[in-house]
Amino acid sequence: MDRRPRLLSSRLTRTQRRVYGAVTVFFIAAFLATMWPVQAAFGGALPFVLGLPFDLFYLSAILVGSFFVLLGLFVWEGRREEREGPGGGPAGRAPDGPRSGGS
Amino acid sequence: MPEWVVVFAVTCGYLVISLSVGLLSGRKTSSSTEGWVAGDRSLGFVVLYFIMGASIFSAFAFLGGPGWAYSRGAAAFYIIAYGTVGLVPWYFFGPRVARLGRRFGYVTQAELFAHRFESPAISGVLAVISIVAFVPYLVLQMSGAGYVFEVLTRGHVPFWMGAALAYGVVLVYVFRSGVMGVGWTNTLQGIFMMGLAWGLGLYLPHKLYGGVGPMFERIMSEAPRMLSAPGLGPDGSPWSWGAYSSAIAISVLGFSLWPHYFMKMYTARDERTLKRTVVWYPTFQIFLIPIMLIGFSGILAFPGVKPADEILPTIVTSIGISPVMVGLFCAGALAASMSTGDALLHASASVAVKDFWRPLFQPDMPDRAERTAMRVLVVLIGGLAYAFALFARKSLVALLLFGYGFIAQLAPLAFATFFWPRATKAGALSGLLAGFAVTVVWDLVPSLQWLGIRAGIYGVAANVILLVAVSLATAPPDEAHVAEFVVG
Repeated sequence: MDRRPRLLSSRLTRTQRRVYGAVTVFFIAAFLATMWPVQAAFGGALPFVLGLPFDLFYLSAILVGSFFVLLGLFVWEGRREEREGPGGGPAGRAPDGPRSGGS
Repeated sequence: MPEWVVVFAVTCGYLVISLSVGLLSGRKTSSSTEGWVAGDRSLGFVVLYFIMGASIFSAFAFLGGPGWAYSRGAAAFYIIAYGTVGLVPWYFFGPRVARLGRRFGYVTQAELFAHRFESPAISGVLAVISIVAFVPYLVLQMSGAGYVFEVLTRGHVPFWMGAALAYGVVLVYVFRSGVMGVGWTNTLQGIFMMGLAWGLGLYLPHKLYGGVGPMFERIMSEAPRMLSAPGLGPDGSPWSWGAYSSAIAISVLGFSLWPHYFMKMYTARDERTLKRTVVWYPTFQIFLIPIMLIGFSGILAFPGVKPADEILPTIVTSIGISPVMVGLFCAGALAASMSTGDALLHASASVAVKDFWRPLFQPDMPDRAERTAMRVLVVLIGGLAYAFALFARKSLVALLLFGYGFIAQLAPLAFATFFWPRATKAGALSGLLAGFAVTVVWDLVPSLQWLGIRAGIYGVAANVILLVAVSLATAPPDEAHVAEFVVG
């Protein structure tokens, strides 16, 4: 048994690995963007956007962006499952579930 | 009719509706422990969405959020920041947790971790930590309820009676209906809270300044420090980026691992329902924006309010709105308190029996006895929290400081459970204990918090080092057993 840490199931297809990898990178970037030093670069109040100080608008935009990225992933998974049957998510299937339907 | 009577009547109307919904919702679940704790794993998207949203937004968010924006300006943005990604880990490991729950019959968080590491000690440690984190949090919710009643009825309904009324209702529906009572009342309470937050958040800037934009322009010209991150510290001096960033980091690490949220993964009807809940969660999170607007609206219009958490009730009782609206506000604040308090009460009783008593003292405890014990504990823990709320509230507030720092220590354990096959029981246990110890010491000695970085971050660092080092120094766990849990 390979005992190294692994984030994604080895049963995922190449396309799945790319998609889940990109989403993971997006959320790590979103997490880092809310903190120093990235947030510090956008930490000022000006300019106002939609009536909000820029730093508040900036965080709201990350929140909305996170919503759409995860919604996109959810829709993509749903279509894929319709087409190919249930295929393991990023962490694969627990032993009681069907195995990945990777293509 | 005196105004306070109208306020009281409207609020009592809300309590009666909450009680009815809570009692009716438990009729269809089984009489098993799984039915009481996990709703027979049958919850659909709408209820799960509101459980997650309303449980997270407590009296602290509803009263403390505006208080932070009012007194510390942009520092309050950290509450929005950690919510942007806080629940996302659920999307990735949630379905696996739910499937393992079905397979092995878990209904609590510690059952999963203890099974993965084959250690009842982990279960006991997590149970103690959970209850130590839950009880002060529950006391805070009760205090919020008593306080709201007292302020908005201008003292005619005293603190003790307000807290007893609100939590008497909670106790009855949690006792009777378990998680289904929590779920359906949270749906009602969540809708109410969101409506009220958006209503007040848009109405107050308009009434006091002519709109959101004009409000921020005036604050920018008269108190510009309030609008630039990282805002102000508790003493009014600029907050450090270290404190702001570490507050976000520790909250993100702990957010998805609070045991009373984690348990809800077992309640989902299916994998897609769970994922859909995570996807739509930001639509609940965004209601923090009007919460912030409420606080900002008080900065110039109502200077000098202390403590700052009183800003929202102060505004509501000062702008001449009708007593019916004040009553609705009172009900909304109670909804925020009760929707968190009920989940905490339910989880405390479940954890005490499933994670502490059963694994350590009575492994063959019958299902019926478990459920009875949980219900008895709902009453006992509710009574204990009420006594603390009346007599020892201030001494418990210090314990709250440990809350997120403690819960964040579960992050390395969760990662090792699902993603690192080499992690061992000794590594997990020593990492956890080191993380808790360092968090306590660094919290008690603030001078150790370099650059204002939160104690929990140091705890996580110690936790990871011990987890890795001790795991590599001890014999690897059984492959077949570990393969049940880790990503394959």
